Amino acid sequence: MSPATQGLVVIVATLAVFVTGTPIAFALGAVAVIFLVLFQGLDSLGIAAETLYSGLHDFTLVSIPMFIMMGAAIGSSPAGRDLYLALDRWLYRVPGGLVVSNLGACALFAALTGSSPATCAAIGKMGIPEMRKRGYPDEIATGSICAGGTLGILIPPSITFILYGIATETSIGRLFLAGIVPGLLLTALFMAWTIYKIGRSGFRAYPSEFRYSWREKLEVLPKVLPFLFIVAAVMYVLYGGVATPSEAAGVGAALCVLLAVLLYRMWDPRAWWEILRATTRESVMIMTIIAASVLFGYMLTSLYLTQTLAQAIADANLNRWVLMGLINLFLLVCGCFIPPAGIILMTAPILLPIVTAAGFDPVWFGVIVTINMEIGLITPPVGLNLFVVNSIAPDVPTRTVLAGSVPYVMCMVLAIAILCAFPEIATWLPDQMMGPGRK
Amino acid sequence: MDLAIRAVRALSLLGGFCAAALIAASVGVVCQMVVVRYVLGQTTIWQTDFVTFALVAATFLGGPYVLMTRGHVNVDVLPLHVGPAARFRLALAASALSLLFALVLSWLAIAFWHEAFDNNWRSESMWRARLWIPYLAMPVGLVVLSLQMLADLAELLSGRQHPFGIAPGTSVAEAIAVRETGT
Repeated sequence: MSPATQGLVVIVATLAVFVTGTPIAFALGAVAVIFLVLFQGLDSLGIAAETLYSGLHDFTLVSIPMFIMMGAAIGSSPAGRDLYLALDRWLYRVPGGLVVSNLGACALFAALTGSSPATCAAIGKMGIPEMRKRGYPDEIATGSICAGGTLGILIPPSITFILYGIATETSIGRLFLAGIVPGLLLTALFMAWTIYKIGRSGFRAYPSEFRYSWREKLEVLPKVLPFLFIVAAVMYVLYGGVATPSEAAGVGAALCVLLAVLLYRMWDPRAWWEILRATTRESVMIMTIIAASVLFGYMLTSLYLTQTLAQAIADANLNRWVLMGLINLFLLVCGCFIPPAGIILMTAPILLPIVTAAGFDPVWFGVIVTINMEIGLITPPVGLNLFVVNSIAPDVPTRTVLAGSVPYVMCMVLAIAILCAFPEIATWLPDQMMGPGRK
Repeated sequence: MDLAIRAVRALSLLGGFCAAALIAASVGVVCQMVVVRYVLGQTTIWQTDFVTFALVAATFLGGPYVLMTRGHVNVDVLPLHVGPAARFRLALAASALSLLFALVLSWLAIAFWHEAFDNNWRSESMWRARLWIPYLAMPVGLVVLSLQMLADLAELLSGRQHPFGIAPGTSVAEAIAVRETGT
């Protein structure tokens, strides 16, 4: 069997195994074991156990549970509520103010956690009932939270960037920086659309003479600022070259847990256990996928499948933008079915040589991949944020949530187009702060 | 039978506790390392090794607990949208494939651990840790994982567990909520 045919068989088999509902980690592992034995005999399994172990034995990976714990500590405290209150009190005069402050709260919360469903849940729990109570259309109330939640994986720290960095050996610090401006751009696009939509309908949530006092505006700050300060400090430590991502994340996690306990008086050890339990479940899940994907990658390379695919694409002599368009399409389709961690770990090592050979920047491509993953989070059939929102507002039909999300998906597609036209939006900040990167 | 399943679940829970403890300890050690290295300006010897080994161990030891609480993500489009009979068959296929992976890797991991033990492998860092100690987590975790998969399979076959934890008549959103919180 030629490598090309083998490659096709592996792709079809992997997808077939995924569709049965086998957990991604075990599916990747099982496919790797089956094809290694099938094409290379039993002996090829000799170093499978070592490969699985060494896939995890990497100090960079330590940052994953640490950032997850940071998010879990903030997510389990009422920080989301306070952030939401603060922004509402500061931004209520803007047309569509409540939606805009919700989006702003999502962006800020995204800077506190690296997870999209967590952002969606934390802000949505307060935001959606409040927006509906004040008469905003269900479509906008739910759609904006779905979309705002996706910012979690684009605005640093972001688990998705860490995974991409590990899979492609790209600097995680650089990726985090590259996510900031596109994250703000996307937030601005979301807000612009909302203001336009609300402004056109002439809807105002507050009577125009309504004012929050300065006292009300200031009293919400002490609970919000410390968390933002920690995150800013973690970022500073990372970029000042003071410490590695794992060290910065470890100290950040410890501080966030401490702050959540002190600020919100979480003295009950059960609350601590809940933070630790959530951290353990998510970390173990992601790390198992990483281990299995290393085994899967070992199978692909030892059967020369990665190399064959890259060669075939190089031989096809496609225009680089046609190629990028096709890759985006491929990622979008994958994103509709497979969780981000699975897609990135499986495809990034295969796509990166193709993309860099076509002259694209690996850090810029990381941002593009991440926005594609964001779209997957709010499109059916497995858009996680849709279900998070559905569980917050079960009486809003899924069709309405979807209709509300579609314009925001368009904003993301627009953001990808803008980033293609002006790659500097992603690469400028890391180049400024860390010097020019490898091209 | 019941006793065996309960015993396996207890083992998985124990593994979960160990994983949580290792993660908590790692956070502590990272903080200690940062203080030693950047505040006191001294070199660190064992910390990087310890944290890396601890988190690999947490992954393998915590795996069975995450499986038991349905925390390993999967592509659940088909299981969510087909009828109960087809869902049962899909669950069987998923169990068989997962079990194949876990059993093969358990066997390989035991052999790998044995080699490290017999040859007294040491880590290449300054710490020179005996590698069979951290490596032990892999065979132990994978064997308990296989047992947990067998226990889940037994419960699925005897009808005590719904395929993919989805009871007939559950909505898609409810099923996802269960998966996200593990309760």
